Amino acid sequence: MSATDLTGKDYFTDLSLLLDPYEYFRQMYARGPVSPMGSADSLLVTGFAEAVEVLRNNRDFSSAIATTGAGQPLTFVPEGPDISTQLDAFYEQLGPMNLLVNYDGMPHARLRAIASQLFTPTRLKATHDFMHEFAAQLVRESVQKGGCEIVNEIATPFVTLVVAEILGVPPGDREKFRAVIDAAPPPGNMNRDDAREDSEPQMSPLEYMGLFFFEYLSDRRDNPRDDLLTQLALATYPDGELPDLLEMVKLSGFLFGAGQDTSAKLISNAMRRIAEDPVLQEQLRADYTLIPPMLEEVLRLEGSTKATWRIARRDTKIGDMEIPAGTRLTVALAAANRDPRRWENPEEFRIGRPRIQEHLGFGRGVHTCAGAPLARLEVAAILRHFLEQTTQISLNAEKHGPPGNRKLEYEPSYIIRGLANLHLELRA
Amino acid sequence: MPEVIVTTRSGEQQAIPFTPGTTLMQAITEGGIYELQALCGGVCSCATCHVHIDAGHSAELPTVSEDEDGLLAGSEHRSERSRLSCQIRLTDALDGLRVTIAAEDE
Ligand code: HEM
Ligand code: FES
Repeated sequence: MSATDLTGKDYFTDLSLLLDPYEYFRQMYARGPVSPMGSADSLLVTGFAEAVEVLRNNRDFSSAIATTGAGQPLTFVPEGPDISTQLDAFYEQLGPMNLLVNYDGMPHARLRAIASQLFTPTRLKATHDFMHEFAAQLVRESVQKGGCEIVNEIATPFVTLVVAEILGVPPGDREKFRAVIDAAPPPGNMNRDDAREDSEPQMSPLEYMGLFFFEYLSDRRDNPRDDLLTQLALATYPDGELPDLLEMVKLSGFLFGAGQDTSAKLISNAMRRIAEDPVLQEQLRADYTLIPPMLEEVLRLEGSTKATWRIARRDTKIGDMEIPAGTRLTVALAAANRDPRRWENPEEFRIGRPRIQEHLGFGRGVHTCAGAPLARLEVAAILRHFLEQTTQISLNAEKHGPPGNRKLEYEPSYIIRGLANLHLELRA
Repeated sequence: MPEVIVTTRSGEQQAIPFTPGTTLMQAITEGGIYELQALCGGVCSCATCHVHIDAGHSAELPTVSEDEDGLLAGSEHRSERSRLSCQIRLTDALDGLRVTIAAEDE
């Protein structure tokens, strides 16, 4: 059976690509590891070596568009062999949406110096007890009910609570944040209709949370406590300068938001595999130390971030290929993670691949996910409690259809790879 | 510009200029030496940015934290001169620092 040609589809809006974006990436890869997206003004990077090269070359490839992507036309027409001045103006326009993940050069290095000290092994060790207590409790409740919808009932509240607790967000405010995040479109929203132009511009979750974080951080500068917000309030740049409070407000809001969807979706992507593969499930039950390597393989095959974006700051190259200044690149992490030149039998789920930790699920280079150590730990913790407290985990056939003919729904996002919901049956 | 002198795994020496405030890991990578995988991006959790400090400057180097020590303990190639290059923030005082990229752990 020859597959339909997907290469003309619009990656940024076509919802039919959500169920199996990998097939689209495979077809694009067949045209070359770096090839033009017919539908959007961007090159698509699907090769592993090429993606690593782009992500590591942060001098020539700017992160200014890392989250906005390339689905919409650029707001300026790139001119000349170096667009640095134009990028400066673009950064101005981003305003409150100009975050660590978008920064380049020295401004990035300075802020990253602070962000890179947040989730150290020592700090994470201190979260062990409450993380496991909370995981155990959530899982116990759902096992008692005989099942759950893991995405919204378990995974999301769990990761919210963990990051809120580490940061030091007061319990009373956590639900408010969760509510505005839930009400807003997902990151990388593909439903353009959601942008209701006639209505009042809505305050983004980041702006809403920013008002609270401003209060917390001001308070922590006067009344330090033992939490991450205090660490952020008192942090200085490497040269000793105290950052503008607004910069720390944006960073803390981003930390709260950044790990939510991605970690929650990783929990459910992993759980779908466990529920659908009884052999894997048995293996994991017999040996919990297989959970971390299993997660690495999930991150490779079905990591929760499909892609990130770069724009060429100046005329440059990928390998021998000329890349003019202003070229936008859709760096498909999910495609690079299945590049057959890098991974033997890439489609196969295999625990313990050599050098698996080189997958690009958390990116690579200076912008590599700063929360990855936390994400790995929290996801492993909750999976372990599910395995400990059950003898069998399976998909709810009433909701998802019978084995072999499952119906699954994915979040309409060009960034996130994640189930909108996953109904499980849990046998104690 | 101050610089560090880096010996690669193949034994080549290269002087790499740096801007104070960046980490040694960043300077090496941005200087065009791609031998350091630096998989965690400098958050002190992977040990793939392992280098050996060749000589001198030990007084100017930041002390080894418990976390760095813990990670280095997992390397087959640890020596008393081992450091994680992402944990060394470069200052003018480190101008002329000489380091060798450590062998890769399997
Ligand atoms: C499974 C869960 C997660 C995945 C798959 C993930 C993925 C990523 C990726 C791919 C990037 C790089 C973006 C780029 O290069 O343009 C990134 C950056 C980042 N992530 Fe995560 N992330 C996860 C969880 C978290 C958590 C829990 C936090 C914090 C609480 C977090 C905080 C950050 C931050 C601060 C950055 C920006 C780093 C920088 O630009 O220097 N992430 N993440
Ligand atoms: S880059 Fe991971 S520990 Fe240094």
